Amino acid sequence: MTATTLEGDLRAAAGRDPSGAAVITKEGSLTFAELDEAADRVAAGLAERGVERGDRVAVMLPNGLDAASAFYGVLRSGAALSPINPQTKLEKLTAVLADCRPRLMLCDTERMEIASAGAAATGVAAHEAAGIAVDGEPPAAPGADDLGSVIYTSGSTGEPKGVMHAHSNMAFVTGSIAESLGLNASDRVLCVLQLSFGYGLYQLFTCVRVGATLVLEPGFAFAGRVVQLLEEEEITILPGVPTVFGVLLSLKGLTEREFPHLRLLTSAGAALPEAMGHQLREALPQAGVCPMYGQTEAQRICYLPAEEYDRRPTSAGLPIPGTEAWIQDEDGEPVAQGETGELVVRGAHVMQGYWGRPEKTKDKVLPGRDASERVLVTGDLFRADQDGFLYFVSRRDDVFKSRGEKVVPREIEEVLHGAAGVKEAAAVGVPDEVLGAVVHAHVAAQPGHDVEEAALRRHCAEHLEDHMIPKRVFVHSELPRIGSGKIDKRSLKPLDE
Amino acid sequence: MTETVTDVRKQMRGFIEDNFLYLRPDVELGDGDDFLALGVIDSLGFVELVEEVQSRFGIAIEDVEITEENFGSIDAIAGYVERKRAG
Repeated sequence: MTATTLEGDLRAAAGRDPSGAAVITKEGSLTFAELDEAADRVAAGLAERGVERGDRVAVMLPNGLDAASAFYGVLRSGAALSPINPQTKLEKLTAVLADCRPRLMLCDTERMEIASAGAAATGVAAHEAAGIAVDGEPPAAPGADDLGSVIYTSGSTGEPKGVMHAHSNMAFVTGSIAESLGLNASDRVLCVLQLSFGYGLYQLFTCVRVGATLVLEPGFAFAGRVVQLLEEEEITILPGVPTVFGVLLSLKGLTEREFPHLRLLTSAGAALPEAMGHQLREALPQAGVCPMYGQTEAQRICYLPAEEYDRRPTSAGLPIPGTEAWIQDEDGEPVAQGETGELVVRGAHVMQGYWGRPEKTKDKVLPGRDASERVLVTGDLFRADQDGFLYFVSRRDDVFKSRGEKVVPREIEEVLHGAAGVKEAAAVGVPDEVLGAVVHAHVAAQPGHDVEEAALRRHCAEHLEDHMIPKRVFVHSELPRIGSGKIDKRSLKPLDE
Repeated sequence: MTETVTDVRKQMRGFIEDNFLYLRPDVELGDGDDFLALGVIDSLGFVELVEEVQSRFGIAIEDVEITEENFGSIDAIAGYVERKRAG
């Protein structure tokens, strides 16, 4: 039986394997039966405080058992879940609450002060999650078409946008992701990603769907802790962003360790540099590398099956099961094979729209090829190889022209990543009266390495066409990042002036 | 021994102030303060910090020792260095 909602998945998992470990943390763990019961109690507590089907509930909690219980409790209450990054500052929190207008907000003791301030400014009541659970009947289960989540994107474009998914969308993409990774009840997934981001949140949802165990850490800071957990908790899957893998690879003892259970490293959030992927394959040969691509608007869009990695290390792979994706030109016509165009996505994972922003929704979710179709335009440029595997080229907005020729920053970044001692690289276009724009590159060096501008420019000259060679290379101790961990290119530009 | 520990604290404070706090004049870093909770050092920062402790104090750090217990605060680092030196 396939549940049509995520809270139904939890009910089913608790029925199949009540004593199986659902979530393990440093502080304690929950079996599927315990997580199911905790969700019931949160849902009953929310109902008692007036939360009804159709409401939103904001949850600002660090990774932990309370967060897992609260997320499923909100979904079971019939309200839509709006997870908020536990590190959010007051100004952003207030903007999100004002936009989302949740019935109430759940937080922990540590965040009560900021939550209360944000809540007071927007007329929302803040409660401690640990205190909200009560015994009692949970309300009637939500319907598949009810709004299930409103996830605020951390993009750097200013005002927050809430991405809406119905319960049916969430259940569909959860199943599709689980299928794409061959996730099963014997898997043990180590999650160091924030559950408030879609990529982290769906680690929990996919594990519960198949009855796998989620080993949940508050975050990723200490590489030694990750190594310990990979061994002691017999982890089979480690989802990461390139930063996580970069830090792990900086450990000298990594290659000597065996991690016999580890079968898969999945990567999303930013493109996995090819050099880093090869290093992972060498250091952890027993584990497959699976680069993935997605955006909050559809959660996951494509994935490269691990067995294809060595053959096509720069590919973002194929559309996730049950979905379709194609590449089209500016007129909406499919491009010829090998040509670059915008990736367009069709499937039950596509969002309902942006909360309260029908105009913005219209730019992103378009009518498709016939009246029945809705498609998501990604804003990302891709090309495909002859087997249909997709390759990310750049953000549509990132491409600029220098000397009248197209510059794709990603290609420059790949070359810089190949230079000795470079840990991170970002290329941006800076307006130039003569050339239209010139390339500036920003790099951060690996610890213990000195990198020099002249040497990096020489390296670029050996590997890139003239118009792509950075005019300047700035060496930083680290590159600025936006909330989701992606390099914040917008803030790199003004540093040049 | 006490003097050595004090010295480790002082040197680490200097390193952290120079490398991580130069943009955060608002942060008053105490010896027991949790780097993560204060948000002064992230995962990449800890890589640098570990390298620094290794080269400055000449100790071999094993990968599984890179944990909050050993590197989470100035006090934690001082205690860790002392234990490693004691062998």
